[in-house]
Amino acid sequence: MDDAKAQQAALARLRSAIERAAGDLSLEEEPARFVAALDDGAPGETA
Amino acid sequence: MDGTIAELAAAIRQGKASSVEATTDCLDRIRRLDGRLRAFITVDADGALVSARALDADAAAGRWRGPLHGVPLAYKDLCHIGGLPSSCGTKTAEYFIAEHDATAVSRLAAAGAVTLGKLNMTELALGPFGDNAHHGHAQNPWRAGHASGGSSSGSGVAVAAGLALGALGTDTGGSIRLPAACCGIAGLKPTYGRVSRAGVMPLSWSNDHIGPMARTVRDAALLLQVIAGHDPRDATSRPHPVPDYASSIGRGVAGLRVAVPENYFFQGITDEMASAVRGALRQLEGLGARVTEMRVPDPEAMADVCNVIARCESAAIHTRLVRERPEEIQPVVRARLELGFQIAAHDYLQALRLRARLTRTFIREVFAEADVLVAPVIPEPAPEIARAIEGVPGTVAERQGRFSRLTRPFNGFGLPALALPCGFSDGALPLALQIVGRPFDEATVLRAGHAYEQAAGWHKRRPALE
Repeated sequence: MDDAKAQQAALARLRSAIERAAGDLSLEEEPARFVAALDDGAPGETA
Repeated sequence: MDGTIAELAAAIRQGKASSVEATTDCLDRIRRLDGRLRAFITVDADGALVSARALDADAAAGRWRGPLHGVPLAYKDLCHIGGLPSSCGTKTAEYFIAEHDATAVSRLAAAGAVTLGKLNMTELALGPFGDNAHHGHAQNPWRAGHASGGSSSGSGVAVAAGLALGALGTDTGGSIRLPAACCGIAGLKPTYGRVSRAGVMPLSWSNDHIGPMARTVRDAALLLQVIAGHDPRDATSRPHPVPDYASSIGRGVAGLRVAVPENYFFQGITDEMASAVRGALRQLEGLGARVTEMRVPDPEAMADVCNVIARCESAAIHTRLVRERPEEIQPVVRARLELGFQIAAHDYLQALRLRARLTRTFIREVFAEADVLVAPVIPEPAPEIARAIEGVPGTVAERQGRFSRLTRPFNGFGLPALALPCGFSDGALPLALQIVGRPFDEATVLRAGHAYEQAAGWHKRRPALE
């Protein structure tokens, strides 16, 4: 396989992995919930 | 310069050392060694000495700027500092200009740090080995011809070689932790949002982190103390209070719950790397930590998510360069950027949505059972540069992906991760582990790292350079 084809194959694998994993995402899932996950996971705060 | 930031800052405060002496010492070492190490892109000797003299005058008058008064530091060449060019590792001397100096650099300067100059890096921060065709490949101080790790290559080399007391790096897929691991120093990727990214060239807004690199964990904590905290100039920086890291770093690890991942992180790594990390875990156990094995939610999925996000965002950021001056970019860097043009907006958005879910799950499942997670950083000791970068772009990119597969997931999760040495290979190259903590719990990560470092003593070794 030449280099361009190998890179296309790597990209196709990546796309397919995302599509498969995203198949059961709930409708309420959105990118901003990433920051919320970090905020929620922080330990009790005392500066 | 053989000491640490903590030691030098204390010596200056006590009148036993001066900033001019320390700065001159670093500049002399740069002059003697950097021709072959290639840690710096720009050395600002005059500016550093002017600054050091002013700081010494202030000290003599009893005016103390802050905890880093007189300490010489250096910055990755993607931090905007007025008066100095930022090539970002490209062929263009002033590739990146911001409206203000990088907030992290400004905060360090306000705390009394002296700026020695700007450090070498992989072109556009894209690549884990530290190679750079424009500015020279940064050399591993422990063994010539071997990779320094990247993309914050000069930061790792400068600190390990004693050319600077500490440095800033950035980490989008491992770019602080990989050079820290390859060069045998401490490097901390803080929580996403803990340190302002303002004034720093972006590579991937969603994955970029700025953090300290230093000889010791305590020094990394000192630097973090200064640069952490909310910045109105960075919309992603978070308002969480910044704890006093010095007050907790020495509390030890008795009772600390340490998880060791059963899956993913010990696969495809060399025996000596695995053995060194497991040896460190036994040492932590000996210090009172409770070490248990755990199957963690699949990090491979997050690595894929990160890749999609990073490819798309970096292609968007550097579109003009790729479209207008493609011949100026190294082939493998250009190939990685061009991949981003081929990913659909739909896939990018699905990756961002997945990231939220994967992060929630990982935090919930891992940190219900553990306070920190310990894993290897690199799969093998620093490879030979020539071998790491040989071949067509697709082959090199695949090799790059393997070398950064242990660090990349934590950029996606946004969790704090500290790399530090845990031994040396048969070939005399550093071996390393990473300690990962809860969001915004850098204090526990630093405490565990400091306890191990002090017990193991690897940080006392110095590369033989002269």
